[in-house]
Amino acid sequence: MPNLNDTQIIRRGLLGRIPARLELIGVIAAALVVIVVLPSLNAFAPEGSAFHVSDFTINLYGKYLCYAVLAISVDLLWGYTGLLSLGQCLFFSIGGYALGMYLMLMIGKLGQYHSDLPDFMVFLGYPKLPAHWVPFHSFWFAAAAVIWVPGAVALIFGYLAFRSRIRGVYFSILTQALTYAASLMFFRNDFTFGGNNGLTDFKFIVGHDVRQPATQRGLYICTGLLLLGTYALCKWLTQSKFGKLQRAVRDSENRVLFSGYATANFKLFVFVVSAIIAALAGALYVPQVGIINPSEMTPDKSLEAVVWVAVGGRGTLIGPIIGAVFVNALKSWATRAYPDLWLIILGAMFIVVVLFLPGGIVSIPRRVMARWRRPEQPLPPLPTPPVEASADPAKTSPASSAS
Amino acid sequence: MALLAGLGGLAHLSAAEGNDATARRLLAQAVVSTGPAQQKLLAQLGDSGSPAVRDLLAAWTRDEILIYEAPDGSHVPVVLEEQQDAAGKARAVRIDNSQYLADAQHHELRFASGDLNAGDSDMRLRGAIQQALDSLTLADPDPDARRSAAVKLGNSQKKQYIPILQARRGREPDAAVRKAIDESLALLQLGDADAAVQVAAITRLAELQALGSVDALRRAVAASPDPRVKEAGRRAVQSIEQHISTVNFFGTIFRGISLGSILLVVALGLAITFGLMGIINMAHGEMIAVGAYTSYVVQNVFGSGFGFHITLPFSFGGQLLAFGFTLPGLNATGWWYESYFLFALPLSFLMAALAGLAVERSVIQFLYRRPLESLLATWGVSLVMQQLFRMVFGANNVQVNSPSWLLGHFSLDDVSFGYNRVFVIAFAIVIVLGTWLLLTKTPLGLLIRAVMQNRDMASCMGVRTQRVNMMTFAFGSGLAGLAGAFLSQIGNVGPSLGQNYIIDSFMVVVVGGVGSIVGTVCSAFGIGAADQVLQQVLGSPVMGKIIVLATIILFLQWKPGGLFSTRSRSLD
Repeated sequence: MPNLNDTQIIRRGLLGRIPARLELIGVIAAALVVIVVLPSLNAFAPEGSAFHVSDFTINLYGKYLCYAVLAISVDLLWGYTGLLSLGQCLFFSIGGYALGMYLMLMIGKLGQYHSDLPDFMVFLGYPKLPAHWVPFHSFWFAAAAVIWVPGAVALIFGYLAFRSRIRGVYFSILTQALTYAASLMFFRNDFTFGGNNGLTDFKFIVGHDVRQPATQRGLYICTGLLLLGTYALCKWLTQSKFGKLQRAVRDSENRVLFSGYATANFKLFVFVVSAIIAALAGALYVPQVGIINPSEMTPDKSLEAVVWVAVGGRGTLIGPIIGAVFVNALKSWATRAYPDLWLIILGAMFIVVVLFLPGGIVSIPRRVMARWRRPEQPLPPLPTPPVEASADPAKTSPASSAS
Repeated sequence: MALLAGLGGLAHLSAAEGNDATARRLLAQAVVSTGPAQQKLLAQLGDSGSPAVRDLLAAWTRDEILIYEAPDGSHVPVVLEEQQDAAGKARAVRIDNSQYLADAQHHELRFASGDLNAGDSDMRLRGAIQQALDSLTLADPDPDARRSAAVKLGNSQKKQYIPILQARRGREPDAAVRKAIDESLALLQLGDADAAVQVAAITRLAELQALGSVDALRRAVAASPDPRVKEAGRRAVQSIEQHISTVNFFGTIFRGISLGSILLVVALGLAITFGLMGIINMAHGEMIAVGAYTSYVVQNVFGSGFGFHITLPFSFGGQLLAFGFTLPGLNATGWWYESYFLFALPLSFLMAALAGLAVERSVIQFLYRRPLESLLATWGVSLVMQQLFRMVFGANNVQVNSPSWLLGHFSLDDVSFGYNRVFVIAFAIVIVLGTWLLLTKTPLGLLIRAVMQNRDMASCMGVRTQRVNMMTFAFGSGLAGLAGAFLSQIGNVGPSLGQNYIIDSFMVVVVGGVGSIVGTVCSAFGIGAADQVLQQVLGSPVMGKIIVLATIILFLQWKPGGLFSTRSRSLD
């Protein structure tokens, strides 16, 4: 059983379970701050005052919020359904490219070459716009593509993978290969998506100048709303019967299968939903960052997204958000303060979290409280030593596995 | 022709004397003479085989040979030294005796570049100089240089080279160069006005299976009105093209096998850590890099030594934390230096095995029941290791020199086999055999198989599973280190070396069937061959790779457990 230990951890109540009412209040308060207060301070507080939030900060937070949405999509798959996908950044990038294509076409004749074609096409000598670019003149077509293209890719790949019962680590390795193949493809110049440099130098989005602070603020608010919406959707999904099934598939897929559920279709649905969520995050990421290129879809980026979830706390919805913001804020700081050491910090953080803190940051208060409340009953040691016990989770109660 | 033969004899004499002095005198004479005498002298120079004269002739084509008019009215050809004094003037070197030009009082004369005139030259003269240069290159002591010179002359389509090539043909000791000269001769004769000569040349080219002559043959066939030429040319093109496809076929197969061997060597370690132990070791690529960097360090120890120094951006008690060490160099030369690779191989294995041991003890031993999390934790390890490589060895690629016995290649019927590739194939066979023997014929192998099959049961039987896990993981990592020592001979060694191979390695193991060494061998060669064939067909390495990855995903539809899946009744 690949996820035996997850089961144990959950049974022992180590994953961060925050009381429902506390979580609700926290989310509403955080949403108010992020979606209403910060943009208002950016727009209305005078430049010099202590309350002013700079355009740079808004832009940076917008990026973090996109990452948080991506992290939720990873968590929906990994934390709740037990599918560790290393391809979420592929869907993120596809979403980004879909909107990026629209943004490229909106540049019009303002590019360096003053041509109707995007700059890189002039540079690479395209005679005219490739046919699949033409409909992207319409914003609504691009917006639809953000949803259906990654959805279709996820549907096809997921169908093939789940039908042949590829699961556990094989699923991870295959999604990694998929991402790798896609990034190789996008790196090619003749793939009509700008090759190495990707799509950049955007000017307008639905008639507004992308570089204006007001537009950026709007995009930031959209991202905040997307995050809130994603959170609400996933909350609803995971708390319904659907969520129970998700966890059942994660903990013992065969039992669910033998109980008469078509687990393959079920997993496929979750995979597609999370791909679309990731793509939406990518689509909002691109106009805020101003560039999308194939390095966004390398397997490493997907693994980094998994780090956010692991650090924040998987199997919760708050965890990925906290993890994404925390790790990226740390990255922003460390790459400036200790550029040489950032990768070591990231790697070490990952090792430590996997070995010593499987519940992530959100589990810390609970662990502390558990220790404080029942000092006579210390927590079972983590990491669990390699348990030489039966592989069947049903027989593995905490008492018997602590051999 | 007779004149040419006579000149050839003369040149032979001067080459036999082996000194540049005669040739320089001839050149000085040539610069100041005119007309047919100049042409004759140049032809003589072309046969002199003197490298010094070659440089001077090249200078002549650039108008860098200047004429100094001596007070007595004689003309002395000179070249100016590159080094100029404060006034922008340089000393002049006489062409005829390579002394500095001096006046009657033995004072060295200095000139600015505008002070002297270059010798007159016209198209005809330039042509003659070029011809002399070409025949000098044909006499180069390096056979490869001779060969490429011959090929260049053959492609020039200038008939005046025919006598030069024929002269060289008679004296050429090297068979490969002789073949190149024959091809060039036939190519030049192809442009002859006489149809009989053309047909003979075409027949000759077909006999030689001259790979590079297809375009020239097509052109000749198109240009010639003679039906005999057309018929012979068509047949020659057909026969040569057939030969080309045979050569490509075997070349592709060889490249496929050698790529397969690289994949095999790289993936074999993973087949053990992932296939047998079930650990998703994302740091496998970094174990490869450990092996490659070990070769680099061993090479430097045999050379001038190796040292590094890292300063951490933290201070402790007011002092920056820093560490580093230096290994003294042996300053070996010759065969002793060349043999560094033989020491690098076992050391690479050892270092990577030690690194593997450290990773197993510190991280992986806690994760045997959590394969997904072993993937994540080892990815963390891989990030840390990559950064350490960057800090110790720098972010750029380092230079690992191949020993001379791994350089070069040999050709069998136009298919070339690189020594390093042949070596990789042989090496892959050796380590696969070794691994197989270890796993099936030794007590340790028995224990490894027992533990990997059923850890609990083995433990009950009194096997010290912890220790076997440790040894197995170290062995798998050591194999990765060996692979790294190899890759250092084939490609670049840099901090992200391992990343380039990690996905391929996983693919090989998954396709082969987890836990099966035979499967790994089959899939490594299968993927290697498929990759090379697709590259050949599509003409693009990246497209080939993408199609291979897509095919693997589809292949797993058909055989989800890989080529050789282990059958069991358990569900997961």
